[in-house]
Amino acid sequence: MTAAATDAPGRSADPRPVVVGYGGRHLLAGARCVACRHALARVVPRCSRCRGPVEPERFGPDGVIWATTVVHIAAEPGDETPYTLAYVDLDAGPRVLLRLETGGARATIGDRVSLTAPTASGSAAAELVR
Amino acid sequence: MSVCVWGVGTSSFARQPERLPAELAWEAVAEALEDAGVDGVEAAYVGTVFGAPGVAQRALSGLGLTEIPIVTVENACASGTTAYHEARAAILAGRYERVLALGIEHLTSRFDGPIAPESTDPEQATGLLLPALYALGASRYMADHGATPADLARVAVKNSAHGARNPRAQRRRAVTEEEVLASRMIAEPLTLFQCAGLSDAAAAVVLGPPRGEGRDIPVRASVLRSGAAWDQASPHVWGYDVVRTTSEAAFEEAGVAPGDLDLLEVHDAFTIGELVTLEALGIADAGRAPAQVATGCHSIGGSQPVNPSGGLLSRGHPLGATGLAQIAEATWQLRGDAGERQVAGARVALVETMGGGAAGIDGNGCVVTVIGG
Repeated sequence: MTAAATDAPGRSADPRPVVVGYGGRHLLAGARCVACRHALARVVPRCSRCRGPVEPERFGPDGVIWATTVVHIAAEPGDETPYTLAYVDLDAGPRVLLRLETGGARATIGDRVSLTAPTASGSAAAELVR
Repeated sequence: MSVCVWGVGTSSFARQPERLPAELAWEAVAEALEDAGVDGVEAAYVGTVFGAPGVAQRALSGLGLTEIPIVTVENACASGTTAYHEARAAILAGRYERVLALGIEHLTSRFDGPIAPESTDPEQATGLLLPALYALGASRYMADHGATPADLARVAVKNSAHGARNPRAQRRRAVTEEEVLASRMIAEPLTLFQCAGLSDAAAAVVLGPPRGEGRDIPVRASVLRSGAAWDQASPHVWGYDVVRTTSEAAFEEAGVAPGDLDLLEVHDAFTIGELVTLEALGIADAGRAPAQVATGCHSIGGSQPVNPSGGLLSRGHPLGATGLAQIAEATWQLRGDAGERQVAGARVALVETMGGGAAGIDGNGCVVTVIGG
């Protein structure tokens, strides 16, 4: 998980979760602790729970909404509002914050979702599974 | 060895784009020094989140406070209380006998609306504005406990009624539940009146050892922690566990229980924050905070007022200054100097501040301090 370097002043390397296309599906490139088996949403040197070593693992594409909100104010100038955010617990995987495409439906806690390609601006995203 | 609050002071709380951060600090520090009855300090700890490099030294030099050690700390919304915590620790360690804790924030020079995303934070880069972080927690809290939008709104109603009695508050109008719910939607279910306002302000506390001065307020405990990992293994909403563990340690150090507190100033940057915090502090059982707020027991005149100042929702939320403004309010309350919003017979107060984004951490920082008694 190497974020692209940037040569633009004032911009840092992209810290967002990495979602990769794989066999027609989209998976989160995270990691799992070798010692306690805890799933992590990103590759880091040590497990955030037990400080054990980690190895890369891909998670998803499916998960369940843990919390969700519809945001009515733009995070960045020009952002389209409203937009839906959700904390999603990927099956046997980590919790990750995603932009949610609901197709006009209302997302609720407990709904099943599936990872999609990232948004045009590069944020990790999912859609409701109907 | 113990430490006391000798004096407190604040600037006005408002959008003050025409004033320099240093001018706000002069107002707060001058009041705190006069209140403490001293004309200088041996060291200063300064909390600010978005303050420019050197803002502390420039501000303090305008009051002739030069050549002393000045340490600037950033710890999200707990920056001011972190400065206070470290100032107290320095006195306890015998390094100094008279220390200033100062919080400065000038948000209108940085933002025109909600605090904008920090581009290196993975969740904020995904579009998670701070109101949305709390809205996500609110959605989960409501699902877990059957709470309603009106339950959230009643926190804003209570705190606005308190703020209407506070001449330093940024918002000084008591609002109704209907007004709160009808105000502009920010991040569902949180409406505008459930979000603390953008504010420019400074607040200051002078600390020192006991000196036999009756107006001094003893610090019985102060605990600072950063959050544990917050992820799929966390049973609670973001920010609950760090407040719980920090406050448990503070209660142990202070030798008091939640029921012993006469008043609390807690971090209500958003309405849901006060409800979750009351449960994390052990003031309310899980899911019971809304019902308790509805009884009026946490209003001024109730058995255990929460945010008699009006809280961040009324006073405004100048991030680095907030924690020290909370301590100033608790100090005025314990001295009996709180005027129209005085909590009768107040002897022991708790101040709680926590903040930061989520991004896998249950809060960047949390400070809980118990003073008085």
